[in-house]
Amino acid sequence: MKIQEEIKGYLERYPDRRGALLPALYIAQRKAGWLSQEALEAVSEALDLPKATVRGVATFYAMYRQRPMGRHLIQLCTNVACMIFGAERLVDLLKERYGLEPGGTTDDGRFSLVIMECIGACDRAPAMLVDTDFHPGLTEEKIESILEGYE
Amino acid sequence: MIKLTIDGREVELERPVTVLEAAKRVGVTIPTLCYFEGLPNFGGCRLCLVEVERLPKLQTSCTLMASDGMVVRTETEQIRAARRAMLEFLLINHPLDCPYCDKAGECTLQDLVARYGPEAGRFAEGKRKHPESLDDPIIVRNMERCVLCTRCVRMCEDLQGAYAISVSGRGGHSLIEPFSGGRYDCEYCGNCLTVCPVGAIMSRLHRHSYRPWFVEREVETVCGYCGVGCSMVLQVREDSIVRTIPRFGLGLNNGLLCVRGRFGYDAVDGEGRLTTPLIRVEGRLEPVGWEEALAFVASRLGEIKDSHGGRAVGAIASGRCTNEDNYMLQKLMRFVIGSNNIDSAARFHYAPAEAFLESVFGQGITANLIPGIADSDGVFVTGGDPTAINPVLGLQVRAARRSGGKVIVLGPPGGLKRFVDHELVPMPYSDEVVLSAIVGGLMEAGRSSGENRAVEERLKELRLPSEEELSAAGIGPEALARAVDDLLKMTNPVVILGPEIMDGARASKRLFLVGAVAYLMNARIYLLSERPNYQGVMDMGCVPDLLPGGGPIGLEMLRDRIEAVLGLRVPEEGGLTLFEMVDEAERGGLRALYVMGEDLLFSLPDRARVQRALGRLDLLVVQDIYLTETAAMADVVLPAAAWSEKDGTFTNLERRVQLLRRGRYPRAGREDWRIIADIGGRLGMEKTYRSAEEVWEEVTHASPLHAGLGYSEIAGGGAVWPYHSEPLKGTEAGFAVQGLGELPGVEAPGGPYLMPERPLFHSGTLSRRSRALLSIHPEPYLVIPPSLSEELGVTDGGRVRVVGAKGTMVLKVRIDPDQREGTVLLSNTFEGANFAGLVGFTADPVTGCLTIEDNTVRLERVDDEAL
Repeated sequence: MKIQEEIKGYLERYPDRRGALLPALYIAQRKAGWLSQEALEAVSEALDLPKATVRGVATFYAMYRQRPMGRHLIQLCTNVACMIFGAERLVDLLKERYGLEPGGTTDDGRFSLVIMECIGACDRAPAMLVDTDFHPGLTEEKIESILEGYE
Repeated sequence: MIKLTIDGREVELERPVTVLEAAKRVGVTIPTLCYFEGLPNFGGCRLCLVEVERLPKLQTSCTLMASDGMVVRTETEQIRAARRAMLEFLLINHPLDCPYCDKAGECTLQDLVARYGPEAGRFAEGKRKHPESLDDPIIVRNMERCVLCTRCVRMCEDLQGAYAISVSGRGGHSLIEPFSGGRYDCEYCGNCLTVCPVGAIMSRLHRHSYRPWFVEREVETVCGYCGVGCSMVLQVREDSIVRTIPRFGLGLNNGLLCVRGRFGYDAVDGEGRLTTPLIRVEGRLEPVGWEEALAFVASRLGEIKDSHGGRAVGAIASGRCTNEDNYMLQKLMRFVIGSNNIDSAARFHYAPAEAFLESVFGQGITANLIPGIADSDGVFVTGGDPTAINPVLGLQVRAARRSGGKVIVLGPPGGLKRFVDHELVPMPYSDEVVLSAIVGGLMEAGRSSGENRAVEERLKELRLPSEEELSAAGIGPEALARAVDDLLKMTNPVVILGPEIMDGARASKRLFLVGAVAYLMNARIYLLSERPNYQGVMDMGCVPDLLPGGGPIGLEMLRDRIEAVLGLRVPEEGGLTLFEMVDEAERGGLRALYVMGEDLLFSLPDRARVQRALGRLDLLVVQDIYLTETAAMADVVLPAAAWSEKDGTFTNLERRVQLLRRGRYPRAGREDWRIIADIGGRLGMEKTYRSAEEVWEEVTHASPLHAGLGYSEIAGGGAVWPYHSEPLKGTEAGFAVQGLGELPGVEAPGGPYLMPERPLFHSGTLSRRSRALLSIHPEPYLVIPPSLSEELGVTDGGRVRVVGAKGTMVLKVRIDPDQREGTVLLSNTFEGANFAGLVGFTADPVTGCLTIEDNTVRLERVDDEAL
């Protein structure tokens, strides 16, 4: 029931319960890395919002995860600028080095990979996010050493 | 005044409406997909596009407000091209599986494409695949066909208030889904089926069983499940009912239905429907012909009347039968047999509650129109969950809340959970403490007007609870003060009263206090009714002390009047209530009982006693559509026609008389009134009847209340209280109230109280004959609070043995976090696992209602191996 108390702490910052839904979903996601049906139910109960409504909102946004994910989420951009600067080679490298497919998770549950459509870093392409950390100017060597920093 | 031109026609508007609605008023229909009258406008489908002069682009007419001087065109080549383009987009993913789709023939998308095209789409890419979901027993979801108009979601949220479905995903991946993604586990009102314009949300009940154009006849009738009396249309093919649907603009429900009305129509086609009369021969019920059965009943009734007098005969009328049926039973008893022993299960709660309130406030005090509830600015609910007992009335409460009204519930809120401003859940059997405090609060605020002296005199005797007493009853004094504050702010309030207000000792006191709340607030009172025609049962005189029309039998003037009409005498001796008949049968004073459409053995508590009483009768006649437990004990069983198989009238809880029309002929069995008239004829009743309308014709003469009220007027929907009559004023006899000067302490019972559950998905024993309703709620369960589950070490779905004063049952448990501490619930639906089978009863000394006794139970966990 700890999530619920944390969520209730957020309630007073918003004019109504529905307003607190997005932060509440973040709180729930942080606990398990993704939003299970049970997590959505907990949010629904904490905010006293209908379960179906909570699920509708949670599935709308890309930043909420509907499936279990690895401990660290790699969000790699392959849009125009990043593609020109070799992002697709990086995708292949992740597959070779970690067995990580786009949309997949490594067998040891360490990393999940999501291909992004532009993360707004075209001037420093190719770029990725690992969890909430921003990593620009990637090369094959650099990406490996960065990822080794995440256990 | 707003003046505009639509397709060359002048439109004048008193107040602003959308262009779409303005067009409708001058007969211009603009095609729509996401628009639905009564739902919030969405503007998503873009099919209602119109050209407006001086506006550069096409406009969605469902969201554009009409304004003065507008010139609107609704069908130009530009508009047709835009509509064609929109439909082409919708067809990118739509599977076009019309030959396989049940919606074909009544599908808006199909009709629109037929009208606007395109004849072929230009998208060569594959269509979105999403398998049809058959996870739910009732609702089939086919998201490939969905056009994302969101009418279902808006219906579910904004009109039904169930919030069971939402749009999940985004963009091209959007789907309509219930929370589970599979089963709905919702209120199953099915109103999403009504609004779905395509075949995306469909009923599983008639899947692939017929085509919409196979419907041969549509029959407008009234639902046979509860006292709201929703209008519905039976769609009939080859003498079978393929579907029941509501219709916007028809009846007080105006397009909405609940689960029982929409899906429970198959209850009349369950297994074991009686097909032939039965007579007990050497202990066994044997099939016989109608002539033999009717002659047997008539001769036995005649013999018993001759040897023991009319008082030895009694009859039980039915809230599931029509006014005509009940009137005829009353006529047989009073005027042919010569006995006032006639009563019904309305005696349990509805009839005594209404009789009591009328004795205080005058006839017709509960006759208020249901659609008015939504317009009130405050609702006080007690004694039951309207969203389960009378679901469509419950929607009115939700609507009142949505438009800003305050809702105060005394007792567990059930389906009003999300719609309550003040939830006052007292300790079991402490309602009178809280009601006394509320009345005290209203009086303190100077709400006594002096209008009803008798009420105000009695209120002076009322002992008000101290703050400690109120807290001991489970309600904090501040919470109560806040609720009273809101009650005082209401200007147009409504009081809704359910059957549970009568549960427990001193029913008259609680009724009086609720009546006093309504009086002090100047509120309209609504009395929830579990059967479609409890009101009609009373109005037809199926009450020992009332004549048809509700006049007291003690008034000589009324007796003379009916004698002049019928040429038959009203028996002078007083009659027995249902409970008194059981007592008399047990004592041997009552020798014959004629039971129409009531399963006494099941609905009355203390089965052993009722069985003993019925077993002592010389003649038990049961007229029903199934071989109920009571029928299985009978000497003669007469198969009756069911709700959808007969004409007649029902009187709903707002006392509106409504027409019931036959959808199909009975598979077997005859109309109840016809069976009774046939028996009456054999006992010397001269009058004969050819139709229900002819029976009603007699009612309009026999009952002063219904004078001049013909079928044609009833069919128009306007047969509302007081029809063409003058209501009787409060009787001079006054009224009795028990225990105003005392307050009970909260007793510590020896175990949890067993209380009756009134589930949304069932209605007495009838609903368990419905495959559809059973598929939603297939088996009995005992609802327990989480604390009890911990104490017993039982998990959800585990079993407990329930040891009650009058029986023992092993039941599955359902743990409900909202279940009130110290109470467990069981419905009265399933055979061998029903509330009434565990508890005892007595009659309330003042109101005569059913008082449940000995309902503390002992629970023991049962491990599955032990079974």
